[in-house]
Amino acid sequence: MIELQNDSLVFSFPEVHPSATLKLHFQRTLRIPDDDSTYPLPPGLGQFPLRHVDDFGGQVPAQWIEHGGVMFPMYQSEAMWICFDSEYDDDREVSYPFAVKIATGKVSAVSGETWKNGVNRDPQDYVVVPEQPWLDGYCVEKGVIRQFVAMPLGAGYTAEEQVTGKAEHGGLQILAYPMKRSVYEELFPKVSERVYQRNMGLSEELSCCAEVPAGMGLAPGGRMKQEIYEDSYRLSDWDLKNSSRCFVHITNSMVWRSITGENPPTTPPTSSEYANAGLPWFEWYDDKNNALPGADPLTGMKSVATIGKEKGDVPLPENASVNPGNVVTLRKDLKPGQVREWTETADRP
Amino acid sequence: MRNAFGAYLRKRREELLGDSPEYSIRKVAAKIGVQPSYISKVEREEVAPPSEATIIRWAETLNEDPDVLLALAGKVSADLRDAIVKRPKVFAELIRELKDAPDHALLRVVREVRDGNW
Repeated sequence: MIELQNDSLVFSFPEVHPSATLKLHFQRTLRIPDDDSTYPLPPGLGQFPLRHVDDFGGQVPAQWIEHGGVMFPMYQSEAMWICFDSEYDDDREVSYPFAVKIATGKVSAVSGETWKNGVNRDPQDYVVVPEQPWLDGYCVEKGVIRQFVAMPLGAGYTAEEQVTGKAEHGGLQILAYPMKRSVYEELFPKVSERVYQRNMGLSEELSCCAEVPAGMGLAPGGRMKQEIYEDSYRLSDWDLKNSSRCFVHITNSMVWRSITGENPPTTPPTSSEYANAGLPWFEWYDDKNNALPGADPLTGMKSVATIGKEKGDVPLPENASVNPGNVVTLRKDLKPGQVREWTETADRP
Repeated sequence: MRNAFGAYLRKRREELLGDSPEYSIRKVAAKIGVQPSYISKVEREEVAPPSEATIIRWAETLNEDPDVLLALAGKVSADLRDAIVKRPKVFAELIRELKDAPDHALLRVVREVRDGNW
């Protein structure tokens, strides 16, 4: 079951486990320069508003109603990242694990392959939450992504058009699978039971970590340092009998008010305005997990700026390179659902 | 002019008055914006319950749920009334369907994000 709560999508599986709840939302952010540099993680600037498409049946394309799901507004060439948060189980001191497929225009942002149901390991076409706290773009190299940037569908920039040659779907598609209850309870025993097992000689490490006119699509923007992690569990650990999926439509912010009657969020600052103000950028690594290599179909994509240059177009205003001087390294143990913003607990390099 | 509304308000105000002098008739009347004598009359159920706006201010002053006080006064808030008037068939069916359901089955009405054909 999926609900919309405070601009977050909440996937819950009470039939699997009381803690099997995954939340995700879409964060506004800076568009990093689309040049040859690789930038640190930009900040979160607040959540995009999410609305049921069914509430605006007369104002959105009929195809959106057929797809169902939700929608949010982005300006052309605006960037976005996805924040994941799965429910923390106090009894086991762990967040419930999920395999989450993320596609844009029905092209996987992780593997670059066109939409397939189920989770696939070769190549991996999903992220594992909570190991993956955020996803900012397409996996183009080991440890490097290209930022999600909104572009009109049909102009040739989106990942969907570059990979499939068609401009059919746009938006984002999300599919979540919880871990099987039996596996979860075996891998993450209750704290009291875990103490007992430790006394019995089992290592903690083993017991915890065994393995439209308004339609927009997402296109690959600038390069950013972000690892997408290999699944350390077995493929059979995921409960493929229980899943929920959601089509997330992206509408141009310029028409959001005419559709919903609400003002869209303001335009974010440019990267140079942000960097010149000395505000923080972020780095985060998890050395317990291995990063996936870039996916071939995604590695072969051209960035928005490159395509614009070939077309004699300027799709990205304000694309000057910047020097992100203030880079904050976040601690490995993030708070559940932590957004990238400066806090007293952040480590400066 | 007997109604449960006045008795409930009086009981609640007197409970709060036991902990704080801010809940004297005079002070509560000032917060709600009515005369102290009107408070007394409503509490003694000598007059009909006040308007929706006054009940909502009363609820805020006594830290009560406005929908509960409105119901005790035999009223329905304007926003609920508007919602029902806008889609009378849907809400009439929904309320009739659920009116006898036990509270534990009515904890929350959940609206699912609909998955379509894609």
